[in-house]
Amino acid sequence: MESHVISGLERIVGPDGIVRDDGELLTYETDGLVKLRSKPGVAVLPTSAEQVQRVVRLCHEHKVPFVARGQGTGLSGGALPHPDGVLIVMTRMNRILDVDIPNRRITVEPGVMNLDVSKAVAAAGYYYAPDPSSQVICSIGGNLAENSGGAHCLKYGFTVHHVLGVEAVLPDGELVHLGGPALDAPGLDLLGVLVGSEGTLAVVTKVVLNLLRKPAAVETLLAAFDSTEAAGNAVSGIIGAGIIPAAVEMMDRVTIEAAEAAVHPNFPKTEAILIVELDGAEADVSALFTRVEEVCNEARASEIQIARTAEQRARFWQGRKAAFAAMGRVSPSYYVQDGVIPRTRLPEVLGRIRDLSERSGLKIGNVFHAGDGNLHPLVCYDERIAGQADLAQEVASEILTYCLDADGSITGEHGVGADKAEHLPKMFSESDLDTMQLVRCAFDPGYICNPGKVFPTPRLCGEVPGPYRRHPAEAAGLAERV
Amino acid sequence: MPVATTTALLDRLAAQAGPGAAVRAGGDDDAVDGVQPRLVAAPGTGEGVAATLAWASSEGLSVRVSGGGTKQQWGAPGGTVDLLLSTAALCGVVEHRHGDLTATVEAGAPLRTVDAVLGAHGQRLSWDPPWPEQATIGGIVATNDSGPRRHGHGAPRDSIIGVTMARMDGRVAKAGGIVVKNVAGYDLARLLTGSFGCLGVILTATFKLTPAPPASRTVQATVDSLEDAASVAADLAASSLTPTAIEVAWGPARLLARFESVEASVAQQADAACAIVGARGASVVLAGEQERAAWERHAAHWSPGGTLVKLSTVPAELFATLAWLRDRAAADGLEMAAAGRAGLGVVDVRLDGPPEAQAGLVGALRERLPAGRGSAVIRRGGPELRRRVDPWGPIGDGMRVMMAIKRQFDPAALLNPGRGPGGL
Ligand SMILES: Cc1cc2nc3c(=O)[nH]c(=O)nc-3n(C[C@H](O)[C@H](O)[C@H](O)COP(=O)(O)OP(=O)(O)OC[C@H]3O[C@@H](n4cnc5c(N)ncnc54)[C@H](O)[C@@H]3O)c2cc1C
Repeated sequence: MESHVISGLERIVGPDGIVRDDGELLTYETDGLVKLRSKPGVAVLPTSAEQVQRVVRLCHEHKVPFVARGQGTGLSGGALPHPDGVLIVMTRMNRILDVDIPNRRITVEPGVMNLDVSKAVAAAGYYYAPDPSSQVICSIGGNLAENSGGAHCLKYGFTVHHVLGVEAVLPDGELVHLGGPALDAPGLDLLGVLVGSEGTLAVVTKVVLNLLRKPAAVETLLAAFDSTEAAGNAVSGIIGAGIIPAAVEMMDRVTIEAAEAAVHPNFPKTEAILIVELDGAEADVSALFTRVEEVCNEARASEIQIARTAEQRARFWQGRKAAFAAMGRVSPSYYVQDGVIPRTRLPEVLGRIRDLSERSGLKIGNVFHAGDGNLHPLVCYDERIAGQADLAQEVASEILTYCLDADGSITGEHGVGADKAEHLPKMFSESDLDTMQLVRCAFDPGYICNPGKVFPTPRLCGEVPGPYRRHPAEAAGLAERV
Repeated sequence: MPVATTTALLDRLAAQAGPGAAVRAGGDDDAVDGVQPRLVAAPGTGEGVAATLAWASSEGLSVRVSGGGTKQQWGAPGGTVDLLLSTAALCGVVEHRHGDLTATVEAGAPLRTVDAVLGAHGQRLSWDPPWPEQATIGGIVATNDSGPRRHGHGAPRDSIIGVTMARMDGRVAKAGGIVVKNVAGYDLARLLTGSFGCLGVILTATFKLTPAPPASRTVQATVDSLEDAASVAADLAASSLTPTAIEVAWGPARLLARFESVEASVAQQADAACAIVGARGASVVLAGEQERAAWERHAAHWSPGGTLVKLSTVPAELFATLAWLRDRAAADGLEMAAAGRAGLGVVDVRLDGPPEAQAGLVGALRERLPAGRGSAVIRRGGPELRRRVDPWGPIGDGMRVMMAIKRQFDPAALLNPGRGPGGL
């Protein structure tokens, strides 16, 4: 990177806000997806929107690519640095700016951790609904970029349903305000498309979130099944009975054993368990909870445990949330896949994954948001065995084809990032991708904002100046706007 | 300007619009704000819509899109229109995956018809915007319109999970999918929701559904003043009750709180809501026919005639704003009523009276609303009012990007010209 760019950056963020040392830059070379690595040209840690603006403006002037990074827990390489670019690390922008209980709003900087939002309002009886399993270690900015979900998103929706407004820096350094504490700000729903755009449209510098009242009642049960198919049938049965639980999570034998080894939640030793949680008004929860128990019994649950105390409920959730990390206990390495299927197809697709595991000889654990049909197969491998890492990749990719065969999606919450860009054309036609990139061209015509992520091939954008007029060649059908 | 005769254009249009399309010359009945389209087409397929748009692009014809025609007067009055493109012939439920609680619906299907099909399996869309008999899915999505149940179930933006659209250049594109959770690619479904058809024509949309609840109760509370209504609404919203609607109607002040769930729950919650109202008002619990009638009375606020201004504030500032409006409208000699989402801070204010006084009131209201903390958008109004005052009001610094998006999707500005948010 040119030295005058670096010195310009240093003037903006100060000597303690810039990282240029090769050794120190290694910290940022990867996110939660460790197979992809790339050292950034330079990293900056701004402390204000104004600094972000000046950094981005400098990048814009010198056509230097930049990538925003939150806590780096993303699992698709979304925050993978550009080797010739600037990594904008948002962790120092971590202040809670305003808590407004009468309006059920909180305004935060993007570096605030997800769980800290709920903690800030817990005493008042409120919480922030999206609860990724990584909520202790991931940032609101990253959540927004990925449209993160969590166990309780089945009933309450994803990040996009709870972000009301943002302040963001556009790739040319201009500041925009989208949405706000009041609903229905007039204009196109740019916020709706910014959420989930994986840091490719703008750098978010401030976020207004909606808060929910803590429910009056919560009931949680754990049901054990002899097969994942049976557990899958129970999921269909619950949804089919017209019940939308707060959460329906599934774990299979592999992940149950891993969780047991790590945090001893004392789960039944069985092929599959479901954790089902209902919340809401007392009378709703008690009536529907009985019905859920019935459905689990109809689906031949071998055992049902009901959380009688808050500690017991916490134990269920601790076992569930620890499952990813716990896989380290049963396998030297594993790849976390993230795909979605219609929930009625769970038994069939879980069956195909089991066959694939047997055929490939690789252990595959499943721990996932069953109520949403969001699978997280964990493909285990040992990189010391020649070829296994590649085989694991192939197996993980094959699972995505099962999801697509079932009319599902290649990602439910971890994003496309750098990891799955090549898979996106399996789900969307050239025309679909072209249309999505029209949005990109409007935000980032210079293609400097997290380039190379999400879309396998960029669409070059000719910004049309002035009033909407078509190029004569285009009007004559001779040229496409590229 | 095209020089071909209308008859010649009709022949070419018929060739594009495809099998099953109705094609004719525009008539008086097709006029909006006195502007009559030259041509009218109702293609029977999505491909027909796309081919029609590609043809209109090549001829340089401007296109207005219409579903049930219930909201043609929303937004800014458009300029001349060459072709009125109706989605009326695209009116089927493509697929109801009841086991998955999702459905894919064609844009021209009226909401009532769709809910009847979904109801066969005890499910529904859970939206209750005005005019469900005529309002189509495409029009409701394109305006992100909603009704009282938005409190509990959200707006179309919240339940849309996939879309197919036709671009002005004739390309068909999809985004999202049929699964309830999905972050692959950009969320064009949300971008199109509320876009007033200025980016593309919605062909089908896919939604997550909700189970139709077995029981319902509505607590109707008549209160003496807007101030009492404010404190009751705030207490209801801050309680741990789970109403699907909290509506305010003013002129005189009334609150409606609806509970929809299993019988035991709705009965218990309705009683709890009455206790919250307490001495601040007279509350009754309504069920069955009485409940239906109360909601029908409430819906009359949206009956034809008068201006509708959508007022949005942060919830805690809604009632003070309404009180200000009440006083100012009286001083200006305007009749005013309001109804809408008390818990969310979004109400429709209805005005009757001289357009210049209405325009003055809207302007003053906008000045009172701090940037980002509220808006006043004219949803429905006579052409004179909408010419005197920008129906949208200030959009803010995002407008630049919105214009850039419009240019990318519709470079020649032929699609619903001027009707998009902010006059896009
Ligand atoms: C153990 C574990 C469990 C997980 N469980 C879940 C789960 O249950 N649900 C779920 O959805 N995800 C889960 N994740 C994935 C990850 O935690 C989420 O994607 C999270 O939102 C990423 O946040 P982050 O701060 O780490 O972002 P990063 O990884 O730093 O960045 C993610 C993306 O956000 C962009 N970005 C970050 N900040 C900004 C900003 N201010 N402006 C613009 N773009 C920005 C980056 O460019 C990148 O594209 C899990 C990850 C781990 C490691």
